Amino acid sequence: MICCKECLDLLSDYLDGELEPKTCASLEEHFQDCPPCIAFLNTFKTSTDICRGTLNQVEIPEIVQAKLKEFITENTRKKG
Amino acid sequence: MSFTQDKEAKEAEEALVREFQAGNLEAYDKIAELYQKKIYALSFNLTRNQMDAQDVTQEVLLTLFKKVHTFQGKSAFSSWVYRITLNATYMKLRSKKKEPNVSLEDLLPSYNGAGFQQDKIQDWSENTESLVFTNETKEVIQKAVDQLPEKEKVVFMLRDVEGLSTEKVSEILDLTIPAVKSRLHRARLFLRKKLSHYFEEYQSRREKK
Repeated sequence: MICCKECLDLLSDYLDGELEPKTCASLEEHFQDCPPCIAFLNTFKTSTDICRGTLNQVEIPEIVQAKLKEFITENTRKKG
Repeated sequence: MSFTQDKEAKEAEEALVREFQAGNLEAYDKIAELYQKKIYALSFNLTRNQMDAQDVTQEVLLTLFKKVHTFQGKSAFSSWVYRITLNATYMKLRSKKKEPNVSLEDLLPSYNGAGFQQDKIQDWSENTESLVFTNETKEVIQKAVDQLPEKEKVVFMLRDVEGLSTEKVSEILDLTIPAVKSRLHRARLFLRKKLSHYFEEYQSRREKK
């Protein structure tokens, strides 16, 4: 059976679906017998998800949007 | 997005770029419209400053306008835009005082000689719901991301936040695929550990009640 280190080293590839079926099965076999690694897997996935969710909320504020529009017009259209 | 949609979007974008290179200003407007939110969001997440992100967005949109004739199509147009955005953002950051670096190594998992985990791992993943949308949590998350070393942070932003593929990130940053994967993995490990402190404390407070 693989050890925790081997398992955790492959966690990103596992979650991103990039492991060979055989390696994937070894990891899942390890998870069955290792509650700390299951806890690690769950918290690893949740951390990534909530960071993504939080950082994805960035919107351009209306005032910035207006300034960008003005900037583009001023700088890309010949005057006169 | 499916492969077909992906391909169609790519072809539509390439056509827009060609039109713009031929001098069509409406094509430029569409490109600016398509990219300004991505440019602003990436720059804001790296600088955490509205004024800086606005400056960077303006600068990038102007560079696209002035330099589009130099784009030769060797990489995807979007990769070119991301590279210009990152360069402009780093120029901005260079003039700022840097936060002290947090050692990534200290936050990686620790193992015994046989390769088994030594840390006590609490599973707080089921107890984040009520906290995720609070301002305090948002600040904790932003601070954790801000503390990531630059090399890991940019990969995390492009791959996990922007949702780009590993191949695309490797093209933008001119890194090998294994290097992108390794930096992404280290970034995720770092963030897990940082957030664990916060959520474990919350969980134990709840259990005491």
